[in-house]
Amino acid sequence: MTEDKRLIVDGKRGDGRTPEELRNVRIETGMLKEADGSAYIEWGGNRIVCGVYGPKDCIPRHAADPYKAILKCRYMMSPFASQEEHGKSGPSRRSTELSKVIRHVFENLVIAERFPNTQIEIFLDVLQASGGTRTASITAAAVALANAGIPMRDMVAAVSVGKADGKVLVDLDKEEDNSGQSDMPIAIARNSKEILLLQMDGLLTKEEVEKALDLAERAVEKIGDMQEESLRQFYESPEKKKFVM
Amino acid sequence: MSKTIILPGAKITDRIAHDPNTFVDETSTYAAVVGTLDETGRFIALESRYKPQVGDAVVGVVTDTKHAGYDIEIGMPHEAFLSSREIRIKLQLGEFVVCRVRMVDEVGEVELNEVRRLPMGKLVSFPPAKIPRLIGKKSSMLLLIKEQTGGDIVVGNNGLIWISSKSDIPLVLKAMNLIERKAHFSGLTDEVSAMLNVSKSQEGE
Repeated sequence: MTEDKRLIVDGKRGDGRTPEELRNVRIETGMLKEADGSAYIEWGGNRIVCGVYGPKDCIPRHAADPYKAILKCRYMMSPFASQEEHGKSGPSRRSTELSKVIRHVFENLVIAERFPNTQIEIFLDVLQASGGTRTASITAAAVALANAGIPMRDMVAAVSVGKADGKVLVDLDKEEDNSGQSDMPIAIARNSKEILLLQMDGLLTKEEVEKALDLAERAVEKIGDMQEESLRQFYESPEKKKFVM
Repeated sequence: MSKTIILPGAKITDRIAHDPNTFVDETSTYAAVVGTLDETGRFIALESRYKPQVGDAVVGVVTDTKHAGYDIEIGMPHEAFLSSREIRIKLQLGEFVVCRVRMVDEVGEVELNEVRRLPMGKLVSFPPAKIPRLIGKKSSMLLLIKEQTGGDIVVGNNGLIWISSKSDIPLVLKAMNLIERKAHFSGLTDEVSAMLNVSKSQEGE
């Protein structure tokens, strides 16, 4: 199944991108009025809303930590997000995993010791999915947390790298993810360059991993600039009418 | 004077500075929240959470009465406590009050004293990071708004603002909205003054 379809023709991918090129990314800050912080991201065909609430009273009470705030993250795909079934009620195996790995990214960044006995909630709703929703979610959640004024040690952006048609690619779309040979989402902190998330599906050789990491680092820098631009625009142009949901 | 907007994790100075909106790593100070940095190296947060300090004036609502005192909602993760021993008056559920922070313990629980009851009015929230702009230099901004809208306003450090029902509440909210959106620009008092004058003259027509 993996070999009968060419994903790369004349060095161009299905949507006309080069192997190192990202899809179009647009980030909007602060579009949820009632949330403490929020962001909306359009990343290729992905559309994700992120709302951040807190620090607030911890529920359930016994889960509260007197030394720090606890972080909660809920990633959810809407029933109409993609062609596959996402309409079954309740969390799925997939969404539970993603909520957990996204939470771990931010547990390394949020300065939680400043808010004992509280919780901080990150809600991520995928309205439309087309490959790479976990990386887009992390990118949006970082912007929403900054917008909420929650102290963080660093910003983070994420991108997936992988292999399809024997070539190392950046920012895999749904097609390349499903029928390619490997997919490796990576989240890298902006200033410290620490890797906060690294998962891998499929196989890559040592050399390919090195190349992929290098490509990811450069791509994440670009996405980080977009995050910064979005936040800057939000605070610098108060006159501009916001798109408020 | 030019200001740049910086994000969490950006370096502010190579010295150790003490500001609740920053963090120190070894010998340098970094921003922990979004803020502006000017040429002199002064960092001002654009978004922040209220961190109660002893002596702060806070505005709140009475949400519960207990045998030892009252619970006061002050827009924090936990309600603050006002002991009956500290006060001479009786309070009712739902009443607006302004208090002083008496004590903050290591897990962020707040105890209050010096209560003053606030009469009928409206309670609104305002970003705590922008409270200094709402008050202005020597309360210039607050005095201007009070004068132009005809009623009393009590600003709590916690980001809750009480507006007297005697004042022109929609106009006060309009002014507050302007300050909130343009808190990091200079010449704000003049702009608010112009806005209030225009709104009042339109009303007169």
